[in-house]
Amino acid sequence: MRRLMSALLREREAGLVALIGLLTLAAAGRDPSFLSVQNWRDILVNAAPVMVLACGMMPVIVTGEIDISVGSLTGLLAGLLGVMCSTAQWGWNPVPVTLLILAGGAVAGLGTGALVTFARVPSILATLGLLTALRGVMIWVMRGNQIGDFPPAIRWWGTGTILGLPVLVCVAGGVVAGTGWMAVQTPLGRRLFALGSNPDAARLVGLSEWRLKLFVFGWCGFLTAVATLMLVGKLGVVDASVGRGYELLVVTCAVVGGVSIRGGRGRLRGVVLAVLLMVMIKTVLVFLKLGDEATKWERAIQGGFILLAVVLDHLAERRSADAGGHS
Amino acid sequence: MRRMWEVHRHEFVLAALLAGLLVGAGILDPLFVAGATQLKLSENIWEMAILALPMTLIIITGGIDLSVGSTMALATVAFGLGVKAGVPFWGAAVVALVVAGGAGWANGWLVTRLRVHPLLITLASLAAYRGLAEGLSRGQPVTPLPAMFCRLAGVVSGVPLPALYFAVLVVIAGLFLHRTPHGRFLRAMGYQERAAVFSGIPVARLRTILHAMAGLMAGFAALIYAARRNTANPEAGLGIELDVISAVVVGGTDIMGGSGSMLGTLLGVLLIHEAREFVNWRWSSAELNMVVIGALLIFSVIAHRLLAPRGRG
Amino acid sequence: MFIRLQNLSRRFGGVQALRGVSLDLDVGEIHALCGENGAGKSTLIKILCGIVVPDEGSMLVGGVPLAAGDVQARARAGVAVIHQESAAFPDLDAVDNIYVGRELRSRFFGLDRREMERRTRGLLERLGEDFDPRVPLSRRTVAQRQMVALARALSCECRFLIMDEPTAALSRRETETLFRIVGQLRADGVGILYVSHRMEEIYQLADRITVLRDGQFVCTDTPAALPRRMLIQRMVGRDAGERERAPARVEGPGATVLRVRGLTGERFRDVTLDIREGEIVGLAGLVGAGRSEVARAIFGVDPWLAGGVEVAGMPLWPGDVQAAIRAGVALVPEDRQHEGLVLAMTIGENITLAILDTLVSGPFLAGAPEDAAAREMIRQLGIKAPGPGLPAHALSGGNQQKVVLAKWLAARPRVLILDEPTKGVDVGAKAEVYRLVRELAAKGMGVLMISSDLPEVLQLSDRILVMSEGRLRGELPGATATQEEVLALALPDAMGVGHA
Repeated sequence: MRRLMSALLREREAGLVALIGLLTLAAAGRDPSFLSVQNWRDILVNAAPVMVLACGMMPVIVTGEIDISVGSLTGLLAGLLGVMCSTAQWGWNPVPVTLLILAGGAVAGLGTGALVTFARVPSILATLGLLTALRGVMIWVMRGNQIGDFPPAIRWWGTGTILGLPVLVCVAGGVVAGTGWMAVQTPLGRRLFALGSNPDAARLVGLSEWRLKLFVFGWCGFLTAVATLMLVGKLGVVDASVGRGYELLVVTCAVVGGVSIRGGRGRLRGVVLAVLLMVMIKTVLVFLKLGDEATKWERAIQGGFILLAVVLDHLAERRSADAGGHS
Repeated sequence: MRRMWEVHRHEFVLAALLAGLLVGAGILDPLFVAGATQLKLSENIWEMAILALPMTLIIITGGIDLSVGSTMALATVAFGLGVKAGVPFWGAAVVALVVAGGAGWANGWLVTRLRVHPLLITLASLAAYRGLAEGLSRGQPVTPLPAMFCRLAGVVSGVPLPALYFAVLVVIAGLFLHRTPHGRFLRAMGYQERAAVFSGIPVARLRTILHAMAGLMAGFAALIYAARRNTANPEAGLGIELDVISAVVVGGTDIMGGSGSMLGTLLGVLLIHEAREFVNWRWSSAELNMVVIGALLIFSVIAHRLLAPRGRG
Repeated sequence: MFIRLQNLSRRFGGVQALRGVSLDLDVGEIHALCGENGAGKSTLIKILCGIVVPDEGSMLVGGVPLAAGDVQARARAGVAVIHQESAAFPDLDAVDNIYVGRELRSRFFGLDRREMERRTRGLLERLGEDFDPRVPLSRRTVAQRQMVALARALSCECRFLIMDEPTAALSRRETETLFRIVGQLRADGVGILYVSHRMEEIYQLADRITVLRDGQFVCTDTPAALPRRMLIQRMVGRDAGERERAPARVEGPGATVLRVRGLTGERFRDVTLDIREGEIVGLAGLVGAGRSEVARAIFGVDPWLAGGVEVAGMPLWPGDVQAAIRAGVALVPEDRQHEGLVLAMTIGENITLAILDTLVSGPFLAGAPEDAAAREMIRQLGIKAPGPGLPAHALSGGNQQKVVLAKWLAARPRVLILDEPTKGVDVGAKAEVYRLVRELAAKGMGVLMISSDLPEVLQLSDRILVMSEGRLRGELPGATATQEEVLALALPDAMGVGHA
């Protein structure tokens, strides 16, 4: 038991798996159909866009920065996508529009990166400003309309299947695999961790801070565009609220997944599990059949999980300080 | 004079910007700067203005509090439930203040006990307190509220009462920050927390108190919010934390901690308020407003960097 | 000549850090670089590493000029650097620490983890360490981190190695391993530039010694031609009289001001000691022996688990700094830049920080008494500054240390604890710190001085306590103790055998 406890404390992933298991047991105990393939497919489909956003956010946080503008950027890109594709508006061909949106996301991310590296605006403030400003631009782009007539090529992102698997799940899986490989198996990934762990030392070994940071923000922007395509494809409708609050959800997932907000530490595995956990909560609440009002507590529960993660981190840190450490 | 400029250059620039904005707005539309208009528009400033005071102190110590908006919601709901249960409004108000103060204190306690960055703790309570407010109220507002209570946020002989409350609070906060030993302690904490600990400054206690104060002020802002709208709504303060932080940062407080002034915060609040209201007034465009506020925040940080005297750390 | 530095100059703000320095460094020899703090050593090293771009002058490696400020060009030319301990990546493991920035690649863009790991194990073995290289460095000791830094330098098969205070965090055994490796490298034809404040090391290792003073080149000579006394003279520009003993104490010691009984914490056990008025007690031991931890516990920054502390008969509570300060304890911490000073605040604000509660009228700060208090301390301690309004980061190391001292003297403590009070302080300022400490003791203050600089402990202390592995190992009289006696107590038993 003690060893189990200490494993849960040390390995964030183990704790998350245990929590997911507990929630599954509780929900399935109340209603066995929670275990159905359809239900898990729904959970994964709901988790997919958040998963992609989290893959963009993690490298940013690992280098010691933060990007809280992803929700607004999602909104803006969704709005642009709508205006460009909608037959009632510009009605452009969806293929170049898709490419344009992907490029736009990357450019926006690079712009954020330039604010942080060249204009030396702390990332929390730069992206706080963008959080407000981009949402404003988005509302202006939408002109109060709701856009719902997306061509099939866009809807494919959210509703299509590849070999029986939803496109959403395939794309998210690909992005997770790619990001994970980048973080652990490439020089670039290790350098991001090095930069976040000790920026001064990174300079001493000749790493280029501005290039790495531009990259992480650009990567984050690009994946935000990918997530936007997935989200719009899934929803089929865009209004002024698309993506609102995603920044907090994604940062929460990263933190709960064990990424250190000070930079330098974190594993994608943990983040993926955390996304799953956060997205599950709502479904579990429904399955527990506590009545309609129970879902009102979703945010309270999410907040509770962040606190839990933080407390666990604290305990684990104390342990490792007891075990080894320095003078 | 030269020294005044060196120490307060950010405040001078802000004051000049504010004056420029008002003069420009006055030329474009004289009605906007008329007393009655300003009085009417001032309704929208008080929650942000009151919350900016403790936020300035917290950011000066190198911390942050993202949960003030959610704490407002929690206090509003506590007040509403109290009124609904038949408690006299002053009793419900006390309950709301205690709940809000307690919520802030819990933030401070967790931050100092767990030694975790306040960004994380208050990110958690941002979700948790809003969730509690939504859960407890079932998402339903309580309305109407006692008329006597609503009058406390009204206008008496041309002066909005919240302005009076705010005037008292800003003077207290300013004196505290700039004229007492504790204000100096807060700056020391923000610049170098370890050194503050090694100088015998009760860092943990001060931090806890500041978060509790932020909670209490959020409770107070919640009461004003409820009284002004005659409704206790769990939507209260949604997203206001970002406005408040923007105002404080535009006011020249360094997000990294250490430096900042109450005068700057006051000017920052006014600048954001006037810019927002003018855009609303002239173009009645919420979206343009958001762009203006976001850009104001980013440019003020860049300007602060450029204006700052060289050589820190 | 392998490296040729020509006429290097560099200004930082108003300070000319380096003034036309030329230097030739060859392979196959150990070249020691000496100078006080502020002599320009670190600027020179930073230019060598490419972190700082000189205003004037050039650097040639193997006859080829190198672009100023290009860190990676140096690595390609075969120049490697071991920085001080702070240059590690605590969240990365040893493998990444050694290879980050010049990773081994496999096919595609991937890393060749296996090969890097194999080589890392080999390097660590060569350094006499066998820990798991896949554990994050934050879980390793300071000395092990230093070894990883050394392994990083070795891994690039460099032709020239720059070592900046490599032994600052090492134990004696590890230092000897390091010296063995350094000797081996020299025999293999690697050139080494060795920077250290420790005279013993310089004379043990160096083939040639170069002295810098005030940013200027003074001389280069062999150790034989530059005996210790002369070297110090060159460094300070005058005769500093390195080793004079404390004058024999005339009056007897006073009443006990600090009484520590059975104090036990996470890193020390059962520490019992007394300090009397007017007494300077040295606390010697190796780095990591638990000395600083004892000091921090007494001062209340860290809690203690068992035992007790009394100041002038008044018991203190664990973990209560305010109570300790009220009782009259003051601590000048080892880490001056982060714990001693608020660098961004002014000298005056730093000096009055601990006594601000007393400089008030009503609830508000009283400006005039505060200014007077700060000016008085600046005068008393001879802090070289135009006034109390200057930010503390603008001062030199020695003057910063005096500001920390001033902060606590203003609080009029009964017990003054000094943790490495002269670390990173140049020779001239050291002498002034010694003079001050003696004066304070003479006025009746009890002083507990932690220092790893043995000559300093011997020179100042009335009594010397020696700690090792978290315990007090013995007490020696200051007047007659020798370095050998102190070391014999300081070395943990297992290691002591070899060095007895």
